[in-house]
Amino acid sequence: MIEKGKISALQMGIMMHPAIIATAILLVPAITAHHANQDMWISPIWASLTGFVTVYIAILLHNYYPQQTVIEYSEQIVGKFFGKIVGFIFLLFYLHTNGIIIREYGEFIVGNFFVRTPLIFVMGSMIFVCALAVRGGVEVIARLSEMIVPVVIIVIVFFIILLIPDMNITNMLPVMEKGIFPSIKGAIIPQSWFSEFFLIAFFLPYVADQENRKKWAIMSVVAVLFTLFLVNITVLFVLGNITARFVYPVMSAVRYVSIADFLEHLEAFVMAIWVAGAFLKISVFYYVFVLGTAQWLRLSDYRLLVFPSGFLLLVFAVWTAPNLMELSLFLGTTVPFYLDSVQTIIPSFLLLIAKWRNKMRDEQK
Amino acid sequence: MNKYKKRKKCVIYFFICVNCLFLSGCWDRTEINDLALVTGIGIDQKGKDVMLTVQLIVPKLLGAGTSMNGSNTGGGGATIVRSGTGKTLADAIANLQEKLPRRLFWGHVKAIVFGEKAAEAGIRPHMDFLSRNPQMRLRSNVLVASGTAKSVLELLPPIEQSSAEVMRELSKSEILMNATLKDVLQMLSDDTRAAALPMVKILPVEKGKTKLETIPFINGTAIFKKDKMIGSIGDKLTRGVLWLRNEIKQANITVSVKGVKGKITATIIHAHTQLIPKYEKGSWKMVVNITSQDDILLNATNFSLYNEQHIHRLEKELARATTARVEAALQKVQKEMNADILGFADAFHRKYPKEWNRVKKRWDEIFPTIEVTVKTKITIQRPGMNTTPQGIPAEEVEK
Amino acid sequence: MRFFYQPRKLTKNRSEPLTATQKERQEERQDALSFDLAQNVQTLQSIYENCSDVVFRPLRVGGTTKATLVYIDGLVNVDELDSIILPSVMKSTASDPLEMQHLFEQTLTVANIQKAKTVAECVEHISSGHPILLIDQQNEAFSFGIAKWEKRSLEEPTGEAVIRGPREGFTESLGTNLSLLRRKIKSPKLKTKSMKLGAYTQTNIIIAYIDGIASDTLLEEVEARLARIDIDGILETSYIEELIEDNPYSPFPQVLSTERPDVVAANLLEGRVAILQDGTPFVLVVPVSFYSLLQSSEDYYQRHLVSTAIRWLRYLFLLISLLLPSLYVAVLTFHQEMVPTTLLLTMSASRELIPFPALVEAIIMEIVFEALREAGVRLPKQAGAAVSIVGALVIGQAAVQAGIVSAPMIIVVALTGIASFTIPRYTAGIALRMLRFPMIFLAGSLGLLGIMLGLLIILTHMATLRSFGVPYLSPMAPMQGREMKDVLIRVPLWKRNKRPRLTGTDNLTRQGPNQKPNPLDGDDKTRKENRHD
Repeated sequence: MIEKGKISALQMGIMMHPAIIATAILLVPAITAHHANQDMWISPIWASLTGFVTVYIAILLHNYYPQQTVIEYSEQIVGKFFGKIVGFIFLLFYLHTNGIIIREYGEFIVGNFFVRTPLIFVMGSMIFVCALAVRGGVEVIARLSEMIVPVVIIVIVFFIILLIPDMNITNMLPVMEKGIFPSIKGAIIPQSWFSEFFLIAFFLPYVADQENRKKWAIMSVVAVLFTLFLVNITVLFVLGNITARFVYPVMSAVRYVSIADFLEHLEAFVMAIWVAGAFLKISVFYYVFVLGTAQWLRLSDYRLLVFPSGFLLLVFAVWTAPNLMELSLFLGTTVPFYLDSVQTIIPSFLLLIAKWRNKMRDEQK
Repeated sequence: MNKYKKRKKCVIYFFICVNCLFLSGCWDRTEINDLALVTGIGIDQKGKDVMLTVQLIVPKLLGAGTSMNGSNTGGGGATIVRSGTGKTLADAIANLQEKLPRRLFWGHVKAIVFGEKAAEAGIRPHMDFLSRNPQMRLRSNVLVASGTAKSVLELLPPIEQSSAEVMRELSKSEILMNATLKDVLQMLSDDTRAAALPMVKILPVEKGKTKLETIPFINGTAIFKKDKMIGSIGDKLTRGVLWLRNEIKQANITVSVKGVKGKITATIIHAHTQLIPKYEKGSWKMVVNITSQDDILLNATNFSLYNEQHIHRLEKELARATTARVEAALQKVQKEMNADILGFADAFHRKYPKEWNRVKKRWDEIFPTIEVTVKTKITIQRPGMNTTPQGIPAEEVEK
Repeated sequence: MRFFYQPRKLTKNRSEPLTATQKERQEERQDALSFDLAQNVQTLQSIYENCSDVVFRPLRVGGTTKATLVYIDGLVNVDELDSIILPSVMKSTASDPLEMQHLFEQTLTVANIQKAKTVAECVEHISSGHPILLIDQQNEAFSFGIAKWEKRSLEEPTGEAVIRGPREGFTESLGTNLSLLRRKIKSPKLKTKSMKLGAYTQTNIIIAYIDGIASDTLLEEVEARLARIDIDGILETSYIEELIEDNPYSPFPQVLSTERPDVVAANLLEGRVAILQDGTPFVLVVPVSFYSLLQSSEDYYQRHLVSTAIRWLRYLFLLISLLLPSLYVAVLTFHQEMVPTTLLLTMSASRELIPFPALVEAIIMEIVFEALREAGVRLPKQAGAAVSIVGALVIGQAAVQAGIVSAPMIIVVALTGIASFTIPRYTAGIALRMLRFPMIFLAGSLGLLGIMLGLLIILTHMATLRSFGVPYLSPMAPMQGREMKDVLIRVPLWKRNKRPRLTGTDNLTRQGPNQKPNPLDGDDKTRKENRHD
C-alpha cells in the first residue's frame, strides 16, 4: 500500500465532520432558506438520508475489497479499462470539487474580510498550508482533525449560546405551512454535501479497528446532521425571514452577537476558527485526490504529486466560476446532480456489479 | 537519495518564495491612525441628492508631555461632523472621502439617523447599501430625526462620548421604541412592510451652554409603510404600541383611584402581551391579552395598600389605564395610519396560514377592520419599602 | 492501538569505512602489556608525552621487585595513596606473582582493585583517576579505585525551582547522579547500562531504565541511536540530544532535559528511558510528548485541583506567549472593528504620535525584550542590576514618554515575556518565543487569517513530529481518552492506576485499585478515638 499510516475509526469519523460542515455553513443555509423558508431547520434531517445511504454503500464496497480504495477496486469490479475510466472520473471530480471548495473559501475570505487582497493569493496560501499537511499523510490529517474539530465545535456552541438573547422562537412558526415539500426542496442542496461522505471509501482501508468503522461513520453523519440542524435553527431564530437575503447567513448572525458591549464584532475570530475547519476539508479532498492519482498511476509514493497537484488545484479554483454569483448559482442548481451522481450513483452501480460478480464466483465454486 | 534531496531543496525554495509573497502582501493593512472612526451616520435628503453626514471620533492627542499628567489620558475623544452629497449613498461616501485625509471606517457605527425628509422619500436604497457593506454592523441602531440628521449628529453631548453613543444608550434602555439595522430589514421584508422606528429630538439647550452642548433624546415613533415614513406618534402612543408588540420593558403607570385624593404610580416588573387571532366566517378578530406584575413606586394618597380590597381596586384602575393607552394607540395606528406595526399579520399567518395567504395581498384593506378586544390583567406584587403611606399620621390612613 | 508506538528506526547499517578517530583509537591501544616493566613504562610514557600532570613513580615492592605507579595528579586521592597503598605495597614481602596476588586480596585495604591487561585498559583507568601499578615480570597491572576530584555539592536546581518538593539537583558527577537516582528507586529493577562516547572526551554515558516497565523496542532504539554517535567530544547532554532526536530541523525539543532526580524517577516509573552523562547536571529523558513539556514536577506535589487550574493557566499563557503580539498587530491593522470603541480610541490615541507602523513597533519591542533577556542570562551578577534598571527604562515609561513606542505595546511585550516563562521547560518556552516572530509577520500581512495559517503550519509540523516513535501531540492526537486525564486535568493520585501507553503495553498497572481515602467506610482509629470527646 502506498499509504503506510493507520488511523482509528474514531479519527476517521472526526475527520469527516469538518470535511462536510466547513463549506456547508457558508452559502448553503441561504439556499436552504430560499426554498424552505421557516422550515429550513427540517431540511438537514431529509438531507442526511443521502449521507446514510452513501456511508452504507461505501462500507459494503469496502467489505468486498477490504485492502483497497475505490480507485483500485473499481478496476477489479468493471475490468481494467473501464475501471481506469471510473477512477479517472473520480479523480477529475475530486479535483474539480476541491477547486470549488477552495474557491468558496477564497470568496468568503475576500468578500468579508480582505476586500483588496488578491483572491489567488488567499487561495494559494491556503493550498500551500494544506499541501504541508497532505505530505504528512493520513495520520497527520487525522491528528490535526482531532486537535481542531473539538475547538471548532466548542466555538460553534459558544456562539449559539451568545446568540440566545437575540433569538426569536416565533420565527420558526408556522411549522410546515405549505406541507412537507418546501423542507424537502430545501434539502436538495445540503443532501449533496452529505454525499461527500463517500470520501470514507478512500480512508476505510487504513482504518485499524475495522470493527468500529460502521459505528463511527454513522456517528459522523449524525454529528454533521446535528451541527447543521443547530446552525440552521440558530440562524433562523436570529435572522428570521431575511435569512435568504444574506450571502452568508451564519456570518451575518455571528456579526449580530453583542454581549455587554464588549463581545462584539467577533466575526474575524469566527473566521479564523472556520479557516481551520476549511483547512481540514481542503486537506481531506486534496489528500484523496493525490492518493487516488498515485494509485491510478500505480506510483510507489504519492508525496511526489503533492505540490504539482497544488498548482492544479489553484488553477481549478480560479477556473471554476467567473464570480461569486455564478458560483452560488452553480451550487444552487448543478451541484446536487453533480455530487450525487459521482459520489452516490456511480458507487451504487459499482456495488451492484460487485455483488453480481461475487454471486457468479460463488456459483462457479 | 539524491532525488529526495533535490526535492527537499525545491520545497525549501518554494517556501522561501511563498514567504516573500507574505511579506509583500499587505493589501488590506491599514494603520489605525489612518482610519477615521465613524460612530454615527446621518442621511438627509437635499433636493434630489442624498446628503451623508458622518460623525467621526478624533482621538485626543496623547503625545510626549500629556501622558504624564494622567488627567487627560483615557479614551476620550472629540467628535467632528463631515458631510458629503451624491446621487446615492455610495456616491455621497465617495464625495465625503475626498474631503477626509483618513479612510472612513464603518466598523464602529453605533447609530444610523435618517432625516425626516429622507425618511419620507424612502429608506430602502440606503438600507440595501448599509446591509451590503461588510464593515457595517447589523446591530447599529436606526433612528429618525425630527428635522435633519445632521443637526442631531452635530451635538456635543456633555455626558457621553458622542451623540451617537447617547442614542445607542437610550435605545438600549428600551423605554421607548428600539430598532437595530437587522430589525428594520426584517420589518421591511415582512409581508406587511410596515416599520416603526424611534424618533429623536434635540433636548433644549441649558442656560449658559453653547448651542451644541446638548443631547438628542428619543421621543415618539416614526411609522413607515413600504419604506416611506407616513407619520409619527408621540410618547404615550408609543408605549401603547410597545404594549401591543410585547416589547414593554420599563414603564410607570400613574392612576388615581376613584374617591381618593392623590395619585398612585406603579412600575412594571414583568409584562406579557399575547395576541390571540380569531377568524370566523370572513371576519377577522383579535384578542389582546395583557398580563403584568407591578410594584408600587409612589403612593401620594392616604390609601393603605395593606388591604386586599384596596389592592383590587387599584389593580382594576391600573388595568383600565393600560387598556385606554393601548386602545388609543390602536386608534391611531390601526385606524388612521393603517400600518401593521403591531404584528397582527404574523399572528394571523401563524394561526390561519391558509386563510391568511388568500388575503395576503389585500391585508391593507382588512387590517383597519379587525375587531380588537383588549383584556388587561394587572397584579400588584410588592408595595415597596413602605407599608402605609409615609408622612401622614396613622389616623389619617384609610385602612 | 499498538501500531502508533512502533519507534521508527533511524539507524541504518553503515558500510562506510571507519573514521580517522576510530582508526587511531584501535591501532594504538590493542596491544597487551608485556612482562617487561621498562617496556610498559616506555609505552605509557610515549602515550602520555607532554602530559605534565601524569606522574610516573618508580618504586620497589617489598624493597625488591621493581614497579611503577602511574596516575594523574588531581584525579587521585593522594592522601589514601600515601597512607594506605604505598605503605602496604612497599613494606610487603611478596616477591613472586602468587604472593603479589595474595597481597592485594588480603592486606591492601582498598575496596576497588581491578586488573588491567592491555595498554588501552591502563589508559582508561588512568584517565578515570585510578592509579595503575605496573610490576616487573607481570603482564597485568593493578588499578586502585581511589579517584577523587573537586566536585560541586548538591544544590537546588535553579532552572526548575519548586515550592514544594525535593530540593536536591543533579551535579556534574555521574556517580553522584546515579546515587541520587538509586536512592529514589531502590529496586534492583533499575538498570543502568554504561557506555563511552566521544573519541577524545571519552565521556561516560549511562542509560537508565526500569526493567519490565520500559519497553524493549524503545530501549533497543535508544541504544542503537546512541551507538550511531561518532563525535570527537561530548560536553553536554545537548550534544547527545541533537544527535539522537527524530527531527533535527524542528524548533521543538523532542527530548526532556532535567536537573531534578525526582523528575527522572517519575519518568522512569512511567516507562521512559533516561540518559545520564558525566560532566553535566542535565539528564535526558525519552520519549516525550508536547504536553509533558508543559508539566512541572510540582503539579504532582500540589493538590490536584490546584494543579489542574494551574495547568489550564499554563495552556492559556502558552497561547499568549505565542500569539499576543501578533494578535495585537492583527487587530490594530486589520480588524479594528473587533475592539470595543473606547478601547480602540485609547489605543488610537496612544499611537497618534508613534512614527512606526504597528508591525515594526511590535518587532522592535520584541527584539529588545529578547536582547534584555539574553543579556540578563549572560551578564555577570554585578552588572545584573544595571541591566534591569536600564531595561526597565528602555521597555517602559521613558520609551513611551519619548514617543517612540506606545503604551499598549509595552503592556503586550511585558505580558508576552511573562507568559513565556510560565512554561516549566525552558527549551519549550524558547521554541514558542522564537515562533512568535514569524507569527508577527504573518499577522502584519494577513491579519487573523495569517495567524491562523501560521498556527496551522505549526500544528501540522507538531502532528508530524514523533519523539522516539511516540506522536508528539499524544495523547490529544491521536486521542486516548484514558490518558487525557493527565493533560486536561491532573487526576488525583488514587486514580492514576495505569501507566501511559506511550512506550509499551507490557506492564500497565501502576498501583492497586480503590486507593481513594475513605475514612467513613473503614474503621478509622482516629475517628473512633475522637468520638469520646
